[in-house]
Amino acid sequence: MINTTILSWVTFIYFAAFVFYLFRMVLGREFWGKLATVTALAGLAAQTVALAIRWKTSYDLGFGHAPLSNFYESLIFFAWTIVLLYLLMEWRLKNRSIGVFVLPIAFLIMAYASIAPGVNSRIEPLIPALQSNWLTSHVLTCFLGYAAFTVAFALGIMFLLKRTASSEAARTKTFIRLLPSEYHIDELMYSCAVLGFIFLTLGIVTGSVWAHYAWGSYWSWDPKETWSLITWLVYAVMLHARLVRGWRGRRMAIMAIVGFGCMLFTYLGVNLLPSLHSYMV
Amino acid sequence: MSKKKSVIWSFFSSVKLAIVLIALIAFFALIGTLVPQREAAAQLAEKMSPALFSFLHKMQIFDLYHSLWFFLLSGLLAVNLVICSLDRLPLAWRRFQRKQPPYSEEAFRNLPEENQFEASAGLEEAAKAAEALLQKRYRNAKREESGDAVYLAAQKGRFSLFGVYIVHLSLLVLIAGAIVGSVFGIEGYVNITEGETVNAIQLRGENRSWPLSFSVRCDKFTVELYESGMPKTFQSDLVFLKDGRKAFEGKLRVNHPLEFEGFRFYQASYGPAPGGKATLALVRDGGRRDVMNVAQGYAFDLPGKEGTFQVLRVEENLMKMGPAVKVAVTSPRREETVFWVFQQIDEIKKISPDIFEQVPVFNPGLFRPYTFSLLGLEEKYYTGLQVNRDPGTPLVAAAALLLIGGLMLILFSYARTVRIRLVSRSGQTLIAAAGQSYKNASGLQKEVQYLLAELKNNLETSK
Ligand code: HEM
Repeated sequence: MINTTILSWVTFIYFAAFVFYLFRMVLGREFWGKLATVTALAGLAAQTVALAIRWKTSYDLGFGHAPLSNFYESLIFFAWTIVLLYLLMEWRLKNRSIGVFVLPIAFLIMAYASIAPGVNSRIEPLIPALQSNWLTSHVLTCFLGYAAFTVAFALGIMFLLKRTASSEAARTKTFIRLLPSEYHIDELMYSCAVLGFIFLTLGIVTGSVWAHYAWGSYWSWDPKETWSLITWLVYAVMLHARLVRGWRGRRMAIMAIVGFGCMLFTYLGVNLLPSLHSYMV
Repeated sequence: MSKKKSVIWSFFSSVKLAIVLIALIAFFALIGTLVPQREAAAQLAEKMSPALFSFLHKMQIFDLYHSLWFFLLSGLLAVNLVICSLDRLPLAWRRFQRKQPPYSEEAFRNLPEENQFEASAGLEEAAKAAEALLQKRYRNAKREESGDAVYLAAQKGRFSLFGVYIVHLSLLVLIAGAIVGSVFGIEGYVNITEGETVNAIQLRGENRSWPLSFSVRCDKFTVELYESGMPKTFQSDLVFLKDGRKAFEGKLRVNHPLEFEGFRFYQASYGPAPGGKATLALVRDGGRRDVMNVAQGYAFDLPGKEGTFQVLRVEENLMKMGPAVKVAVTSPRREETVFWVFQQIDEIKKISPDIFEQVPVFNPGLFRPYTFSLLGLEEKYYTGLQVNRDPGTPLVAAAALLLIGGLMLILFSYARTVRIRLVSRSGQTLIAAAGQSYKNASGLQKEVQYLLAELKNNLETSK
């Protein structure tokens, strides 16, 4: 299918963008940064086209659903939102040094979608319970939240890297020098966590509404629901620790990493446990 | 309020406690996903010593989400939220009501260089332009004069001071809704075969049924399949009867529940119902052919009065050889002949040609001079319904709306005051702007910069 062919190209494009961002960070020449941005933009555009084709194809096949209905499509959408969010940030902040932390994640997700065993890339009809507009809004909001948490995670890693590097390295090593100041990384990380928290809240609420219509109860403590609650609570702790207890910097970075771990388990890990959401496999 | 608060009050108003409680709830929730819960816990019983199992059972480890622990933690969190909010609400109220007089030297102290500029316009002209700008952007602007200076101020977003309280209130409503639901709610299910009526449901997780004050009949069940054989939609035509009379009817589809007397009905599953109808044909040697619809237990006279026949069983798929009907023919002398009638008898004979010799009861012509054939089974389904009553749902829905509304208020708005000071200085006017807020300092600084740029632009173009 044409859309999966485009998507496998997108995987390589993101990898190339990552390599260019890395060149920029190591060589310190803005040329590479510009090339990386253009490459990432091209990848995003191609991926958008592929998603649109996929959407249209599902209508041609007579199923007619947004490309958000199985594990493969969710991975692709996840990578798409991460790159979109990152490019928006790059544009707003006029800073390219975050790309080298974010693009490899998008690349890995795309690669996982195409090579992991048991990930089915076909467009398939939906079972009746999934034929709901709430499903679309649920998946949309959840993955916007996941993307924000992922960027917060990348910033957390960046922060720890900057903190561990000696002040000597900060002057001599181009890579470290090009990173934003610790203060700015911390601010950005917090903004991303808040954005993710709000989208995750919306995701949990729309999911509950959908469950209310499809299964007759807005909450049934199924492992995926429970883990999304755990993730939500971890970020709630992160918010309070900062706002009220004044946590900054390293502790926030660790919270961002822990929260990301919970989010990843919500998304992937719970498939190891029996679940209502098992259609995602 | 006295300055010295009681120990209990400060314990419950502390955010440290909140963090500990939230972390504990997250931890318990995590344990619940690792330890099998409710029905699934039964398998664990075989692997554990009975003493340990019963201890863990008593500790409600196998039903954590409905356990006393969970109630206790939610209760503590609720108390924490109430006390913490009561503790801080007066502060928010004071901030909300605080007068922000335009004249304030304090606000302009230590002003960064980029927050001021010199304009060639006169004082009054510049002040008019600045006031118009504030009016346009904030719909409020106050003015004060002091000596040779004009002070202007505008406020925005004061209501967002209450965003946090709305979010926390929503959590209280959520906890209340969840508790109402788990105390007064009913979760059950029922299977109804097409054409049948039920007046009780089976409770989930308990070996008990719950009588309904009305009855439900399923008139028809329909399923539509994709080409692959996967179900596309399915629905039940339901009739709700009160005192034997039809009170309400509706089509129940997946994702589109029906509600009657506080109970919500959800289309959950379906399956083939045993005891469907079959269409039988019987041919008298070289003579007439009769076709009739039969079901288990039906009895008929043979057309030539050689006896009567009765349908003993209707099978969907007998010994993997397809649909079959078991028939007994009784002659007037009370001799009984029993045999099976397969729908796919021709295919069966092709695979094993001497089947009638080996298994005489598989011969549909065992009672001469008749040969029976099975033309088909009428598919009959049962519909599987999830039936719930949860009086907590409206509370939970309200909580969700409050939560989202409160978060939006926090995210998209913040309380701020912006001030512009204009000082006449040898024919020129020195214009300075400052902002004041409780959070989002960098956003506010951007806004102040924008105001200054806009004002500069307005003053230049008006010339
Ligand atoms: C799961 C439970 C909770 C959630 C989801 C939650 C949510 C929030 C959110 C989103 C904020 C951010 C407000 C902002 O950005 O201005 C906040 C702030 C705050 N929360 Fe909570 N909260 C929870 C529990 C609690 C509890 C139990 C307390 C009680 C001590 C508490 C005390 C506070 C305080 C003091 C603030 C700071 C308010 C301010 O900045 O003025 N929270 N909460």
